[in-house]
Amino acid sequence: MPSALRAKDITVKFGGVVAVNNVSIDVNQGEVLGLIGPNGAGKTTLFNALTGFVPLTAGRIHLADTDITTLPPYKRIRAGMGRTFQTERPFEELTLVENVLVAAFLKEPRRKQAERLAMQVLEQVGLADRYDQPALDLNLARRRRLELAKALAVKPKLLFLDEMMAGLNPPALREMIEFVRNLTSLNITIIMVEHIMEAIIELSNHVVVMAEGSVIAEGLPNEVIKNPKVVTAYLGED
Amino acid sequence: MFDYVSFLQNLSNGLLIGGVYALIGVGLTLVFGVMKTINFAHGDFVVLGMYGAVLLYTLFGWDPYLSLVLAMPVAFFIGVAIQRVVLSRLVNAPPESSLLVTLGLALVIGNILLLTFGAEPKSVNTPYSSSTFSIGEISLSVILVLAGIATLVIIGGLYILLNRTELGRAIRATSENRLGAELVGINTRRIEAIVFGIGASLAVAAGVALIPLLFATPTFSGAIFTLKAFVVTVLGGLGNIGAAIAGGLLLGVVEVLGASYITSDYRDAYGLVVFLLVLLLRPEGLFGKTVNRV
Amino acid sequence: MNKHMIALLCIVIAGAFYPLLFPGYLSIAITLLLFVGWATAWDILGGWAGQVSLGHASFVGLGGYFVAVGATHHGLDPWWTIAMGMASAAALAFAWGKLTFKLTGPYFTLSTIAIAEIIRLISINEGWLTGGATGVFIFSLPEPFGVDLFARETNFYLALAFAALCIFTVISISRSKFGYQLRAVREDESSAMASGINPATIKLKAFMISAGLTALGGGIYAIFLSFLEPHFIFFLLLSVQIALTAIIGGRGTIWGPAAGAVLIIGSGEVFRTTFAEANMLIYGLLIMLVVIFMPRGIIGEPVRYLIRRTYAKRAQS
Repeated sequence: MPSALRAKDITVKFGGVVAVNNVSIDVNQGEVLGLIGPNGAGKTTLFNALTGFVPLTAGRIHLADTDITTLPPYKRIRAGMGRTFQTERPFEELTLVENVLVAAFLKEPRRKQAERLAMQVLEQVGLADRYDQPALDLNLARRRRLELAKALAVKPKLLFLDEMMAGLNPPALREMIEFVRNLTSLNITIIMVEHIMEAIIELSNHVVVMAEGSVIAEGLPNEVIKNPKVVTAYLGED
Repeated sequence: MFDYVSFLQNLSNGLLIGGVYALIGVGLTLVFGVMKTINFAHGDFVVLGMYGAVLLYTLFGWDPYLSLVLAMPVAFFIGVAIQRVVLSRLVNAPPESSLLVTLGLALVIGNILLLTFGAEPKSVNTPYSSSTFSIGEISLSVILVLAGIATLVIIGGLYILLNRTELGRAIRATSENRLGAELVGINTRRIEAIVFGIGASLAVAAGVALIPLLFATPTFSGAIFTLKAFVVTVLGGLGNIGAAIAGGLLLGVVEVLGASYITSDYRDAYGLVVFLLVLLLRPEGLFGKTVNRV
Repeated sequence: MNKHMIALLCIVIAGAFYPLLFPGYLSIAITLLLFVGWATAWDILGGWAGQVSLGHASFVGLGGYFVAVGATHHGLDPWWTIAMGMASAAALAFAWGKLTFKLTGPYFTLSTIAIAEIIRLISINEGWLTGGATGVFIFSLPEPFGVDLFARETNFYLALAFAALCIFTVISISRSKFGYQLRAVREDESSAMASGINPATIKLKAFMISAGLTALGGGIYAIFLSFLEPHFIFFLLLSVQIALTAIIGGRGTIWGPAAGAVLIIGSGEVFRTTFAEANMLIYGLLIMLVVIFMPRGIIGEPVRYLIRRTYAKRAQS
C-alpha cells in the first residue's frame, strides 16, 4: 500500500523544553492512525509540526512522495492535507455556508462550483438546513461538525483530526464515529489525536502512544491499551 | 583627526536629551507593562504639562521646576479619572481598541488645549533658559542639565516606589501575572488606575521640565512626543523600565550623532529608522523579554 | 445586479444633478466625496483585511505629487501622472507590506506611522523631487475635449467618479473569492491557513489595491487644490482622519466608511470649520464612543443586529 505520510525523527524544541523527541510516524493510504497519550505528551505539538503550524527543530516529513518539511501550512493544505483544530475556529462573522465556502474555494476557484461543493459538504455533515446561520451561535456538536466541514471542503487526501470526539454526548459520539468510518471508505487517510478510547479502538488500524514527548508504544489498538507502560503513563506510578 | 571634543560634546548633549526622552518613555512603558495598553495620548500629556507650566508662569510667575510640585499630583488625579471613566471599559476588547481610544483621547486633549490656548507656540522664558556652563571644553545647557537632574530624581523616586513599597510590589505583581495578582487579593483595577495616573504624571513632569527649552504647540508636538515615547519603549522592550531608560539615552545619542555626522535635516528620522529596525528584527526590544512575532 | 450596485447607481445618478442644484456648495461636496473614497479605500486594508494603517496620507501625497510635479516641472498630462502615481503607490504598498506584515495588530499600526513620517521628512527635504517645503503650484493643465480641469464642476464629477469607483471596488470584492479570503484572514489567520490561504499574499493584495485607489484620490485632490505642500498632505493628521472616518462608520462594511465621511464632514460643516479644531475634537470623542460602545461602527452595529435577528426569527418559524 502506498504511503500517505512518512515523518522521520521529528523533534520540536521550545526554548529549553523538548516538546517532541525524535518521533517517527508512518501511515499508509486509507489507514487510520490513532495518536494517544496523557496530557502534555506532545501530541498536539506533533500535530502542529506535521501540519506546519509549528517549526521543526529536526526531522523530515514526506507527504506521499513529496518532501514537505519546509513548506508553510497553507502549502501543505494545497498539497492535500486537511486539519481541524482542537478548539474550533469558525469564522464567526460569516454564515455556515460562507465558512465552508472559504475552504471550498481552494479546489473550486469559481464561485458557482465552490458554492455547490460547500453545500455538498454541509449535507455530508448534516448542517445543510442551517446554511445561512451566522457561525457565532452554534452549540458544541454543531461547531464540531462545522470544523469538520471546513476541513473536508479542501478535499484532503490526508486528514488530521484533533480531539474531534471530546465532550460529545453518547448519541453525538456515535454519529461522529460512524462519520469518520465513512470517510475512510472514501480512501481518505486519517491521523487522529484522541482521549476517547472507544473511538480509538473502533476506528484505528494502528495506534501510537506518546508520553513526555516520545513514543512509548505502538501497535494494534487492543494490544496497546493493555501495555503496562501505557497504563502507567496514563495513571501514573502507583 | 577625530575631533574628540566635538564628539564628547555631542555625546553629552545626546545623553542629556536622552534623559528627558527616557522620562517620557518610562511612563508609557509602565502603563503598557501593567495594563497592556498602548497609550497614544501619552505625548499629549507631555504637552499638557508644558501648558500647565505656561499657565502657572503667566498667572503666578512660578518657575517651571517649582510647578512640578503642583503639576505632578494634579496630573496623577487626571490620569486616574481618565482610566476610571474611559479605559476601564476596554477590559475585554482587542488590543487595537486601546490604541484607537487613546488616539481619540489624544485628539480630545490636544484640541481642548488648542481651543483654550490658541495655536501660537508658547514657551516659558526663564532667566537661565539659554545659559550654559562648561566642564573642560564641553559646554552644557543649564536647562538640559536641570532636566536631567529632575529626570534622575523622578526616576529614582519611581524606583523606590516600585521596589520598596507595598504598592510597588502590587504593581509589579500585576504587571507580571495579572491573574496571579488577583488571586492573592490585589485589587488590579485599582492598580491600573494608579498606574495610569503615575504614567500621566511622569509625562507631565517631562513636559514641565522641557518647557524652558522648547515651544508648546497644542496638537503637533503631542504626536511627536508620543512617537518618541514609542521609539524609546520599543527600543528598550515594552514593559521594561530599566530598558526604557537605556532606550531613551540611546535615542538621544542616535539623534544628536546622526544630526551632527550625517545630516541634521533628517534628525527625527534616525530614531524612526532605528525604531523600525528594532520592530522588525527584534520586537522584544534590545533588552526585553516579551515577544510578539506572528 | 445586486442591491448594493443598484443603490450605487442611483446615488451616482442623483449626484450628477448636484452641481446644478447647489452650485455654491461644491467645495464641501468635493471634500466629502474624496473622503468617502479615501475611507472606503482605506477600509479594504483596515476593515476587510483587518490591518489598521495610520500612514495612508503617504499614498494621497504620492498621487498628488505625481500630478503636481508632473504637470508643473515636466509638463506631463494628469491622466498619465495619475496612473503613474497609482502604480507607484501600489509598488510602495508592496514593499511596505512585505516588510511589515509579520507584525501583529498595534505593532503594525505603529510601523505605519513611522514609515509615513519618514516619507514626510523625505518629501520636505528632497526639494529636487517635490519642490521641498515650499510646495508646488499647478499652473496649467490641458483641456481634454475643451473641459476645464480646474473648474469646480469638473472637480466634483472627478471626485464623484472616484468615490463611486472605490465603493464599486468594495462591492465587487465582497462577492468574490478574494473577499471571502480577506474576511477569513481578518477573523482567524490560522484557520485561514488551514483552508489553504496564504495570509501574506491576501494582505499584500489588499494593501496594493487600497494604496492605488488612495493615490487616485490624491491626484484629484491635487487638481482641486492646485497647490500642494508636504507638511499638510503627508501629515499624520490626514492619515488619522481617513482611518477614523472609516472606523467610526464601520469597518468591513460596504457603506460604513461612506457613512462615516458623511457624518463627520457633515458635522464639521455644521460647526463651520472643515479640518480645524472643533472638528478634530469631535473625531476624538466619536472614536472613543464608537470603539467602546459600538465597535462595529455606526453602520456595522445595526447591520449585525439585523442579520442575527432575521436568522433568529427564521429559525423559529
